[in-house]
Amino acid sequence: MELELTGNDVRELRMRRGLSQADLAAAVGVSRQTVNSIETGRYTPSLPLAIALARFFETTVEEMFHVKEQ
Amino acid sequence: MSRSSKRTATYWTIPSICVAAGLAYLVSAWVGGRPGLGVVLLSAMLVFAGIVLLAARRSETVRHLLDRRDERITAIDLKASAAAGGVLAVAVVAGAVVELGRGNSGEPFTWLAALGGIAYAAAVIAGRVRG
Repeated sequence: MELELTGNDVRELRMRRGLSQADLAAAVGVSRQTVNSIETGRYTPSLPLAIALARFFETTVEEMFHVKEQ
Repeated sequence: MSRSSKRTATYWTIPSICVAAGLAYLVSAWVGGRPGLGVVLLSAMLVFAGIVLLAARRSETVRHLLDRRDERITAIDLKASAAAGGVLAVAVVAGAVVELGRGNSGEPFTWLAALGGIAYAAAVIAGRVRG
């Protein structure tokens, strides 16, 4: 089974909390650029970072990152 | 060593290597009878280290290239290193070919090529053993 990432809710979740990219970056220990790259789908985070983001937003990785089967 | 002091040590790795290389150039040039050249090379390395440290204050990318705290920038660094290594490998092989064509032994390019090949194989084996 091959999965392809189609998008994520990181920007939406961040905006809902009224956080800037820099705030979120500081919270999960990465650069602002990396948060931006994740939000725009240009960078796929590692599993630990994806879990850290999911925990921060009190959700799950599967709910935050959308995939489709190829 | 605590996590924060380890990060601080990592931050200073590249500038420290620049200074150490500059001092090695100075000593080597001095021993070779060209102390002036040694001073110039040391100065160049000190200036480069300074530029890197100043750039790190302004640029998030440079800062994280130094402290290696950001996984994406660390991955970019890895790809850039691989690209630079590829270019060097081609240059070394081309140098060996040219030297052999000139009727020489191909040194030091053949040694450099062998060293690069052994280093690559060792890194692959180490990576495989670690999982």
